[in-house]
Amino acid sequence: MKADRSMISSFIKPIMESLIAVAIGVLIGAIVLKFSGYSPIKAYVALVKGAVGSAYGWSMTLSAATPIILTALTFAISARTGIFNIGAEGTVYFGAIAAIVFTNMFANPIWGLIGGIMAGILWALPAALLKVYRGVHEVISTIMLNWIAFFTALYLVLGPLANPNDPNKTLEVPASARLPLLMRGSELSLAFIIAIAAAIITYYILWHTVLGFELRASGYNERAARYGGINPKKAIIWSFLIGGIMSGIAGATEVMGRPPSYAISQGMANIYGYGFDGIGVSLVGRNHPIGIIFSGIFFGALKAGATYMQIDAGVPLEMVKVVQGIIVVAVAVPGLWDLVKKVVRR
Amino acid sequence: MEEVPIIEMKGIVKIYPDGTKALKGVDFSVKKGEIHGLLGENGAGKTTLMKILSGMLPPTEGKIYVNGREVRFKSPADALANGIGMVHQHFTLVEVFDALHNIILGMEGHGLFSKIDVDKARAKLQKLMDELNFQVPLEVPVETLPVGVQQRIEILKVLYRNVDVLILDEPTAVLTPIEVKELFDVLRKLKEQGKTIIFISHKLREVMEITDRVTVLRKGEVIGTVNTNEATPQLLARMMVGRDVVLRIQKPPKEPGEPILRVENLWVKGDRGEDAVKGLSFEVRAGEIFGIAGVEGNGQTELIEAITGLRKIEKGRVILNGKDITGRPPKELYNLGVAHIPEDRTHMGLILDMTVAENSILGLHWNAKFTGALNSIKWNTVKAYAQELIEKFEIVAPGVDAPVKSLSGGNQQKLIVAREVSKNPELIVASQPTRGVDVASTEYIRNYLVKLRNENKAVLLVSADLDEVLQLSDRMAIMYEGQFVGIVKPEEVTEEQIGLMMGGIKDES
Ligand SMILES: Nc1ncnc2c1ncn2[C@@H]1O[C@H](COP(=O)(O)OP(=O)(O)OP(=O)(O)O)[C@@H](O)[C@H]1O
Ligand SMILES: [Mg+2]
Repeated sequence: MKADRSMISSFIKPIMESLIAVAIGVLIGAIVLKFSGYSPIKAYVALVKGAVGSAYGWSMTLSAATPIILTALTFAISARTGIFNIGAEGTVYFGAIAAIVFTNMFANPIWGLIGGIMAGILWALPAALLKVYRGVHEVISTIMLNWIAFFTALYLVLGPLANPNDPNKTLEVPASARLPLLMRGSELSLAFIIAIAAAIITYYILWHTVLGFELRASGYNERAARYGGINPKKAIIWSFLIGGIMSGIAGATEVMGRPPSYAISQGMANIYGYGFDGIGVSLVGRNHPIGIIFSGIFFGALKAGATYMQIDAGVPLEMVKVVQGIIVVAVAVPGLWDLVKKVVRR
Repeated sequence: MEEVPIIEMKGIVKIYPDGTKALKGVDFSVKKGEIHGLLGENGAGKTTLMKILSGMLPPTEGKIYVNGREVRFKSPADALANGIGMVHQHFTLVEVFDALHNIILGMEGHGLFSKIDVDKARAKLQKLMDELNFQVPLEVPVETLPVGVQQRIEILKVLYRNVDVLILDEPTAVLTPIEVKELFDVLRKLKEQGKTIIFISHKLREVMEITDRVTVLRKGEVIGTVNTNEATPQLLARMMVGRDVVLRIQKPPKEPGEPILRVENLWVKGDRGEDAVKGLSFEVRAGEIFGIAGVEGNGQTELIEAITGLRKIEKGRVILNGKDITGRPPKELYNLGVAHIPEDRTHMGLILDMTVAENSILGLHWNAKFTGALNSIKWNTVKAYAQELIEKFEIVAPGVDAPVKSLSGGNQQKLIVAREVSKNPELIVASQPTRGVDVASTEYIRNYLVKLRNENKAVLLVSADLDEVLQLSDRMAIMYEGQFVGIVKPEEVTEEQIGLMMGGIKDES
């Protein structure tokens, strides 16, 4: 009975903390809206109605949640291993590019996903190997890799992959390789189911397999892990690889399952920023895959509802970003703080 | 007229957030200028009570009076302001700082950017050390110092803050007999200066020697307070456990068999790159307990880590059952039948944030017994296994799903011992196996090591507790500056001879 209590309290506490942070974010957001001369009530009503007030709203929310759930998993699995991997952003680009290339070679969605996964693995390796064999801090290496990815991707988008028939985007994913939609006329596709499955698989790996045990052990205490017969270097490489796979899939599903474009837009706007959003989603979800599903959907709702806030309440899109930012900060401060302390202590 | 006690705690109740009732209405009072012992089994609530007194934890219920005045502490700083400071069971030093900065940390300068007057602090500290004849090197990062010295730093850190009441939570657990004697000299001097000291220990001999009065806790309740000169170790033990304790090790004579572990000309470096182990050769045979005594910091840690695959071997060989295992990783060694009780339970032996169940399989989590398809872990099996360990070794824990950090220090240690001896190893390397463990459990663990020996296993024992080494070993080595001063049979030497050897002097008579 006592054991139950300790389990419940260790369960409830992070959820409560996240909910409180969300409430604080919403509240401060309201104050900011008020002082900027908007009606917070009207704005929030528009947001909620737009995001979850209709089946279409829900479809927009869930499709917006899809990529950021996946990139959040990248951050979460590394955080659980004691690593601060912010390389999801660059990995998404290559995942998307690989999916376009592969589906244009073999017009089949499976190949598109395989392409995304392979890109994710390949782009995770440099940071992992630098960390393990050269001691390069992952924050430094992943930031640099993100920039390398950005310009390389931009070159590919504008050059070799440019669409001869449409100057605004790359080659499209052929119709036969697109992910089926879950609701006709919406943006919601099988990609969402893939993201949920990825979260469940990540949860299973972390808490129900030997590998996950070893990842978490090295994340908590590298010395004790080594004593426990675990090779922390191996754990670090695995966490980068699994994380890379998730972001690679995020990129692939964005181009394979997000109408209308089924391609990368010329300025990469439709695949940009998910890696960074993922960090916030992961922190709000307490770096827990199941928590991430919920916080991902929440962030998706903010994104989907923002448009309506703009239309119905006249609030500019940037204001929504402010509210999002406040929520992330409110939640992240304790969680991020723990992580930074741990990284610094090394 | 009765003097007002300097400390008076009344009706203290502590319920931890997970529902554990650690203290059930404790009354505790300490007279000014006395050394007051606090005794109790592992998990009795000693640390909890003292954390409340030092402002680390809020009590669920109850009142605290200092010099008859009611106080309410919100933080350790409040307690310090009232002249109460505590040295913790597990050290709290910043490892990369030197002693000086550890001691003045959070002290000098009150504004965020106000400058620290390091020279003034150093002078004050030097004066304090001279008065007490209690020296530590001030300018060396503490992580490179032996535990005995780190402990002194912890004590100085509290004294530097001008406390009247000094709480010491198991200060002697990490000390050698000589260091204990030095500590006691300091405590007596502090007492002469009028300081009050609360002293926690599991070693009855020490409590008998240094304290004026003793309070005994059992399962969160006070059993009683007695004057030390009216008490006996037997009485105290009975008060703690609630029955008579027979403190005896049954160790039948035994002919050792083939060597299980052979170490040949082993060279190992320490953290600072110095030679810590210098060409050691020895063997541990089946059915034998081979003890290593010596002042801590003479290469024992490096030797153990090298043998167990945790530290690089510069030169030499380690052979297990005829197989060369030099430089093999821990996992491979465990699979070959090595078990290891490490000296540092909070940084190495356990992962404090993980649960009791998870920790109970650390280092055997890949074992087929606990794993299923797709390399999954069978948690039900693991939990049942952890529950078995808890029951067999009488570990006090809220449950198998509780994080290990919520266990008391001694119970954490018992969990490690339980896990390692239950591996049924060929060779068990036991470093400070009973550190911080209460009397009854200490005897249980020692008897268990003897049992493994009787079952023809090899036991390599390292302990700062000379009694332990003498009591258990069939043969023992005394280690000094990376080498063995000698290998002797415990029954053939006097404690005096060993004392000399621990100082590096070989008795030639
Ligand atoms: N943070 C915590 N959360 C929950 N329970 C705790 C926590 N800390 C201690 N306990 C429980 O409170 C009880 C008393 O623990 P405490 O550390 O005070 O024991 P102790 O007398 O100091 O033992 P030891 O001799 O082993 O150090 C134990 O049952 C322990 O499991
Ligand atoms: Mg304690």
